[in-house]
Amino acid sequence: MGKSFDIGLILDFIPKLLGYVHVTFLILAGAILIGIVIGFLVALPRLYRIPVLAQIAAVYVSFIRGTPILIQLFLIYYGLPELLKLVSIDISQWSSMFFVIVTYGLSIGGLFSEVIRAAVTSVERGQTEAAYSIGMSPFVAFIRIVLPQSFAIALPNLANLIIAYMKDTSLAFSIGVMDMTGRGQTLGTTTSHFLEVYISLAVIYYLVCILLESIFSRMEKRVSRYERKFG
Amino acid sequence: MIQLRNIRKTYGKHSVLNGINITVEKGDVIAILGPSGSGKTTLLRCINFLEHPNEGEITIGEVAVDCKHASKKDVLALRRKTAMVFQHYNLFKHKTVLQNVMEGLTVVQKMPAEEAREISLLMLAKVGLTHKADSYPSQLSGGQQQRVGIARALALNPEVILFDEPTSSLDPELVGEVLTVIQNIAQEGVTMIVVTHEMGFARDISNHIVFMEEGRIIEEGKPQDIFNAPKEERTKQFFKRFTNEWSYSI
Ligand SMILES: Nc1ncnc2c1ncn2[C@@H]1O[C@H](COP(=O)(O)OP(=O)(O)OP(=O)(O)O)[C@@H](O)[C@H]1O
Ligand SMILES: [Mg+2]
Repeated sequence: MGKSFDIGLILDFIPKLLGYVHVTFLILAGAILIGIVIGFLVALPRLYRIPVLAQIAAVYVSFIRGTPILIQLFLIYYGLPELLKLVSIDISQWSSMFFVIVTYGLSIGGLFSEVIRAAVTSVERGQTEAAYSIGMSPFVAFIRIVLPQSFAIALPNLANLIIAYMKDTSLAFSIGVMDMTGRGQTLGTTTSHFLEVYISLAVIYYLVCILLESIFSRMEKRVSRYERKFG
Repeated sequence: MIQLRNIRKTYGKHSVLNGINITVEKGDVIAILGPSGSGKTTLLRCINFLEHPNEGEITIGEVAVDCKHASKKDVLALRRKTAMVFQHYNLFKHKTVLQNVMEGLTVVQKMPAEEAREISLLMLAKVGLTHKADSYPSQLSGGQQQRVGIARALALNPEVILFDEPTSSLDPELVGEVLTVIQNIAQEGVTMIVVTHEMGFARDISNHIVFMEEGRIIEEGKPQDIFNAPKEERTKQFFKRFTNEWSYSI
């Protein structure tokens, strides 16, 4: 295995690995954007009980929940080009980054949809009725009244999902994306100091996690300032 | 003028409104009374299409809608002629008191924010809540929230305000402040239809009482006639129960 443990190397590795932290954020940002769109697309048929589409949405969510993200990643990486070949589109040469972002977007979107669904139904029907009673159209009432409150309700759960997926981005290197974990892998191979590499990675992921948590907790305070403050 | 003609509503096989006719003149205050389950709430919610009537005609001002064939446009038109005060207030929780009152003006009536703000502050003054303009609903008492609900309805300057038991989810000591506010705006000539279980209040503010049972109007007329000399046996029974309740509670 590796050479003898050298704690000093960690300080050397961390900046080297941090040079790739933007890849993690890029995957995450892309996945969140796609995930929000997918989340609504999957949540709406179930919210409005649209037959067939609602069942398809339910199966989708349960599939996402029931399969490992790594398998989902391979399914998209190998499967999507095959699928698109059928309609004569060749994406087999596209960068692995594309496949990672699509996978994580589709995956987090399935879980987002459950959070969105719960949050939308938890805004009392009475407020929508009040919006109708003053002459708002259903669409405007949804955008102005239901959505902002759903967002406040959903945010803590969305934040948890995003943080969990941030950690899962460490799997992206399995299809060849050069992120921190991927770089760590090569660093370990060339120096044979694997333990120091993984300690460095643990520190970095942990710090990113704390950063995200503090951003989200600030957002939560902002968007839920209308709730009763005691004292 | 507001006209309800032959309003019918069924839930499945259960017929809740069996052809209701009511005419409301400008400045009228109509109180709708009746036992629980008689269809009072349903009738009120049919007027602004929160429930879709199966049949009938609703005319408010120049808007006339055949309920059976009402389009989305018809529904919006009716809703823009009316406003509603709900039993559970239904304020927009993420908006301040002032924003709650302004919302209909800026978003629905497309009024410039400055003008909407002025009108809204005026309405808040009417319900005695100017000092709460920047509070959120969760920071108000039930009575205060309901007064905001009234200001929100009033701001729209609708042809009619529909009240569905505006005080029945309030603590007894908060009922008075809300009833007083409603009484004041009634005296300003605002047209209202009020569903209530507060008999004394109904008698004092209305100029016309409608007594409903099982989806029908059993009896209607001037408050003094209905309260002092009801003609129908069921109406008599209903008021007797109430006088009994009063005597028990003392
Ligand atoms: N959404 C609904 N689905 C099925 N039945 C309903 C629905 N809403 C109301 N009903 C029925 O319609 C009837 C009239 O109800 P409504 O709420 O209009 O009565 P109400 O006179 O307002 O009673 P209360 O004084 O208790 O408020 C009741 O029998 C009720 O069970
Ligand atoms: Mg009722």
